[in-house]
Amino acid sequence: MSKELLLISTVPEDRAFSEQVASTAGLTLKITPRVDDAIQIIANEEPAIIFVDTSTEAQYLELHNKIQNSVGLFSNKVRCNSIHFLSNQNIEETKFLIQSPLFGNYVMRNFIDPRVGEHYGHLVAGSLSERPFGLAQLMKPGTKIQKVVVKQSEQKQDAVEAVRSFMVAAKFQSRMATVVANAVDELLMNAIFDAPVDAMGRQMFANLPRNAHIDLIDRSAVEMQVAYDGFYVGVTAIDLFGSLDKLKLLSHMSKIYTQEEYKVRSSGAGAGIGLATVFRSGGSFFFASEAGSRTEVTVFFRKTDSFREFKDQFRFISTQFFF
Amino acid sequence: MVNVIKEQQGSKTIIRLSGSIEETVNFDQMIGALPPELVINCKEVPRINSVGVKGWIKYFQTAQAKGTKITFVECSTAIVEQINLISNFSCGGTIESIYVPFSCQKCKSELVGLFKTEDLKKMNLVIPPVKCSKCGGEAHFDDIPEEYFGFVSR
Repeated sequence: MSKELLLISTVPEDRAFSEQVASTAGLTLKITPRVDDAIQIIANEEPAIIFVDTSTEAQYLELHNKIQNSVGLFSNKVRCNSIHFLSNQNIEETKFLIQSPLFGNYVMRNFIDPRVGEHYGHLVAGSLSERPFGLAQLMKPGTKIQKVVVKQSEQKQDAVEAVRSFMVAAKFQSRMATVVANAVDELLMNAIFDAPVDAMGRQMFANLPRNAHIDLIDRSAVEMQVAYDGFYVGVTAIDLFGSLDKLKLLSHMSKIYTQEEYKVRSSGAGAGIGLATVFRSGGSFFFASEAGSRTEVTVFFRKTDSFREFKDQFRFISTQFFF
Repeated sequence: MVNVIKEQQGSKTIIRLSGSIEETVNFDQMIGALPPELVINCKEVPRINSVGVKGWIKYFQTAQAKGTKITFVECSTAIVEQINLISNFSCGGTIESIYVPFSCQKCKSELVGLFKTEDLKKMNLVIPPVKCSKCGGEAHFDDIPEEYFGFVSR
């Protein structure tokens, strides 16, 4: 594998973004507008990271078909973890990406903020490490990381309130602090109730009411990491089960209820809308999961001058799965 | 955790919610038997999580199905966000008034102003700046209009 970032795009702003990312992640940028040329580069040079313009379904299908007819969709030369789809569309409008066997990372174009390339570059660098676990690998080097271990389910609310207070102290608007707190609430709830599975892979607490008492001992303990580098806040929830299901996750993330009705599910005690709501409120996600071992879900928010900018900030969904 | 203050005004039962709505919420227990008319004041609801949303929809959908007339008043920004994100969050109830967020250009204070939904419609969703109550500066609407007022045109 080379230390290259391959960009397949003709969009000028993709180029500027990729230059920043490559520079931060210590990669050499190679650009081609043609998928045919890109396939040759993938086959011969195995770039570490691939950014590809998938603004339309036709663009995606060209890539999909040409990979299928050359190196193959499941080849070691095209790892989902290293493919980043660049798109103008909201995630619910890109079902073709969500359902793609190549899906690894989705970046919604909004590169106005000059810091987004550097921010995403740290994530790309982290994703290239052997195992991208720990918030420190995803933040600007030297950012202080605070850790909290949740040992009882009821402690979740205290952790959520602590993050909210931390945000207010860091001079985030109170509405922004509330959005971040809500995101942390959803992350911790999933780690406490949805992540634990038994030896057969069956969920242990998914059907329990979310106000149930659970002692989170040994493997069930949930760790939370929080960091703020002056621009971005990152919060990670860590569980030691590694049970995250990529298809289920992406289906939840892309579901919206602005047109269709939300139906209260009879199965499971969760609501199934938490992460999607966080994404639509301005949050970006980095999911890292090693099957049977650990899952880390990190949410990022940029501090902005106004709530309007906060909600409309640069967003992405990054998934890194290891088997 | 959310608290409830209940008040009776003729046939109307007025419920004032205060606090975050999350997994501990039990509307059945807090509100009790369903009256013919429910007015829910959401001014003091700073946050609602996904399980809170689920409990909310379950309760108010049942209330609506049983013929209770529901009106939501003084909806906080957290509640307005849910009304916009989830098409059936208001469960057939009327959104009478909402808080609209403003941000002062001078001192950066966050402010909210109460607006009736009917007035918002008349204003064509164009919200003029208001005077900051802290420094006297000009405070502008601080959200994405098409999103924050999405429910008005639905």
